[in-house]
Amino acid sequence: MKIPVVKNVLDANNRIAAENQALFAAHQVYTINLISSPGAGKTTLIEKTIAALRTDYRIGVIEGDIQDTCDAERIAKLGVPVVQITTGGACHIDSSMVREALATFDLAALDFLIIENVGNLVCPAEFSLGEHAKVAMLSVPEGDDKPAKYPLIFHVSSVLLINKIDLMPYVSFDRERACSDARKNNPQLLLFEISCKTNAGMDGWYAWLRTQIASIRQ
Amino acid sequence: MHEQSLVQALLDLIEEYAGRYGAKKICRVRLSCGRVSGIEPACLRFAFAVQSQGTVADGAHLELDLLPVRIYCFACEQEIQDEAYHAVCPRCRGSAVVLVGGTEELKLIDMDAE
Repeated sequence: MKIPVVKNVLDANNRIAAENQALFAAHQVYTINLISSPGAGKTTLIEKTIAALRTDYRIGVIEGDIQDTCDAERIAKLGVPVVQITTGGACHIDSSMVREALATFDLAALDFLIIENVGNLVCPAEFSLGEHAKVAMLSVPEGDDKPAKYPLIFHVSSVLLINKIDLMPYVSFDRERACSDARKNNPQLLLFEISCKTNAGMDGWYAWLRTQIASIRQ
Repeated sequence: MHEQSLVQALLDLIEEYAGRYGAKKICRVRLSCGRVSGIEPACLRFAFAVQSQGTVADGAHLELDLLPVRIYCFACEQEIQDEAYHAVCPRCRGSAVVLVGGTEELKLIDMDAE
């Protein structure tokens, strides 16, 4: 007996992602899913972004890590609501983990939610969480070949942040190659070259976020 | 290593459809995914062999159709298939290309039941 199915294996994940998305829409919480390799600077970017936007928006953070809670502790010091998801070995966050984490937030008291995914350029690309936008981050010391080597993450992201541009003089990083390869995966990809250390380029990133947060409000 | 999560979701889907059709044993499972979808076929097979033990799909043969990488080349003005993604056109070696296919996510197409 042949049983026809023709269904995406991650349909269950996508269904819960759609529920999360409906929650974000109902409470008008603009949500990003931040994805990069370990050490690209995700947590530092979040700290900087909170400092820059907190006077205008109520911000919450979900921290995803395989184990440990040191990232959540860094964010908690800033006095914003934060929930740590420890995946216990899984290389990505999925939509049901986010749904559980959302239960601990007062979404009505948030304008902007940042989900920091597990440091990994491969697996998180496949699991939608219900976010408004996936934001990929690449840091200069990782090398300019990453967009050619990991096409999916650049294909599914709305924004690419190229971080640690202050290190350009010290490493061989062909920015033209990185940007052009990233755009081959996704011609709509928005690029910001930034340094969380010197604040170079950060104003463009903040301005983009302000536009996005405003765009979902009635 | 996300293949482990994928296989769990796959087994849930297999159980659901096996139950719906009253199948007691699944002997063949046909899947498809894009070549640059981030799925490693060897890892997927290994995870399936381990995780399917004791389920309705225990010992089932796994068929995986890998959908080709498709790029559009602006110089050749056409869509071209390739086995892998190199960010260059396999015909003219030009770099004015865009990735248009090969990222399709894992899909359960059909299965054979005894």
